[in-house]
Amino acid sequence: MLKLSLLLLQNLARNPVRTALTMLGTIVLVVAVTFIWSILTFLDEATAEKNSNLKAIVSEQWRVPSQMPQSYARPLQEGAARDADDYKVPPQDSMTWSFFGGSLDPASKTFENAMFAFCLEPDKLLTMMDELDELQPEPKAELAAAVERMKKNRRGAIVGRGALEKLKKQVGDRIVLHGINYKDINLELEIVGTFPEGRYDPLAAINIEYLIAALDVYKREHRGTPHPLEDKTLNLVWLRVPDMATFQKVSQQISESPSFTNPAVKIETQAAGIGTWMEAYRDLIWAFRFLIAPAIIATLASIIANAISISVRERQLEFAVMKVLGFRPNQLLGLVIGESLLLGGLAGLIGSAGTLYIVNNYFGGIKFPIAFFGIFMIPTAALVWGPAIGIGASFIGSFLPAWSARSVKAAEVFAKVA
Amino acid sequence: MPDAAPLVQVRHVHKFFTRGSERVDVLQDLSLDVPAAEFLGLMGPSGSGKTTLLNLIAGLDSPSEGLVRVADKEISAMSEAQLARWRTRSVGFVFQFYHLMSVMSAFRNVELPLLLLPLSAAQRKKQVLAALDIVGLSDRIHHKPGQLSGGQQQRVGIARALVTDPMLIVADEPTGDLDSKSAEEILDLLQELRTSLGKTIIMVTHDPRAASRADRVLHLEKGRLVNETRAGAL
Repeated sequence: MLKLSLLLLQNLARNPVRTALTMLGTIVLVVAVTFIWSILTFLDEATAEKNSNLKAIVSEQWRVPSQMPQSYARPLQEGAARDADDYKVPPQDSMTWSFFGGSLDPASKTFENAMFAFCLEPDKLLTMMDELDELQPEPKAELAAAVERMKKNRRGAIVGRGALEKLKKQVGDRIVLHGINYKDINLELEIVGTFPEGRYDPLAAINIEYLIAALDVYKREHRGTPHPLEDKTLNLVWLRVPDMATFQKVSQQISESPSFTNPAVKIETQAAGIGTWMEAYRDLIWAFRFLIAPAIIATLASIIANAISISVRERQLEFAVMKVLGFRPNQLLGLVIGESLLLGGLAGLIGSAGTLYIVNNYFGGIKFPIAFFGIFMIPTAALVWGPAIGIGASFIGSFLPAWSARSVKAAEVFAKVA
Repeated sequence: MPDAAPLVQVRHVHKFFTRGSERVDVLQDLSLDVPAAEFLGLMGPSGSGKTTLLNLIAGLDSPSEGLVRVADKEISAMSEAQLARWRTRSVGFVFQFYHLMSVMSAFRNVELPLLLLPLSAAQRKKQVLAALDIVGLSDRIHHKPGQLSGGQQQRVGIARALVTDPMLIVADEPTGDLDSKSAEEILDLLQELRTSLGKTIIMVTHDPRAASRADRVLHLEKGRLVNETRAGAL
């Protein structure tokens, strides 16, 4: 087999330009599929239910986006525990989110000067935020220092690297964020730190105390008239529970509590909650999964089929000679498919490994804002996807041309030559 | 060599093709014996069926009717895969246009059929060098076909045909693409294979000078044997 493998390499080397172009086409398409599958895999993982150490989201039952009163925050953060045998969520295992969208220019609010922020308790950035609660020691220390500055300075904000770049700001700058959803609420912020590169690049975190204080100021300045959103500042409450049984218990506590009836609330696991959010993108994700990715793979198979078909047509005489020398039909079939698999597998590996290395190390992930995800990293599983896509498409694309090589009638080919 | 047992036996062979509703008979009730170590020439006008007969004997094609037996093996009843295995060890083929692999050196071209046999690299090298030595190309083993003359390419083709030590070598117009000097050298070589190594050689040719090197020449016309000439009669 090794002896015949050397023939594969020799055959690929006989037309270096065609081999290189076919590999290039394969690499480009593998890169595209790797991008798509990275996003889909991340979303699949985000919506996959966990059985332990799972997070739950409490939100308003009948309205999207959820807008609950701030008075719900404390009892919900405790899991609505009322009796001694109720499960009381520990303080470090809960977090509230209030969404604040604002612009640096009140006269002209554009994407370029806008920023989206979570208003929350600063400490929760380190204990409850996905990925930030699993940082390596060095970036964790940097973020912890920024959180300390945020706690000391109520106006402190931590801003993602992408947002800083977009707004042309840096750590230490002061900005005024003119509310878009909170009309007439202007937050004077000092950028005290940034998030580690990745998922939170386009986002910011603001101390919830400052938002509440700003709403109080609004009320004072408007002769006691509260801001229209004052009683709707609590968008989401996050709870962490040790297992599914505890989740069921907390779920029952919240749904049976008479405190959360107007507006009514619902609790769901993070996976289910994200799934609900992703409903808006259902068609887009469906198209990625079932139209675009298969179409790219089909295109790849066509490119390979075309290249291998041309090669087989050019080498009819060679295959006829090989048959005369004693090569069996299935050996010729294997030879042609082997050439294709070698080319596709190698190009696939180069495509996916290159994407993994370059995208993750130089671009900090794929910037593709969808729901509240902004950046997707290429998973190491891509090292398997690339060769698998290359080999799969090569096999599909080369089978018919290989069958035609297998079926060469030596006597007929020589009759044409003569 | 009238007393030698026939290496090749062809019995009542018919070969026909259908073109639309028309049947085209290429070979008709053809029978012949080729003793071992004979140098047989096949002559005839274009379309007389000589190449078809050569292909049947070499196991490249199957007869429509009749049987072809080589060294007591009925090759006309073998499957395509069985024929391929049989050809590797039993028959060497020399082409008019050499049909060498352009990307491979002379050594690699000659080695190609040996890749199908259970031989070590050292054994393959030994056999390839021996075959190239027989055809007088020991000093050209690393040359690619494009770097060799027509005569030298045909010598590589002959080395490739005999490297597996087959009992039978078939040659289809082996001198048809060569100048007269190179043609003479190739014919000398084929004769040498028969006399020194005892190979049975069947050669299709249009050239009476080439045919004159054969022990016996069969003349075909319209798919039938019409004449037989012994050595020296041409």
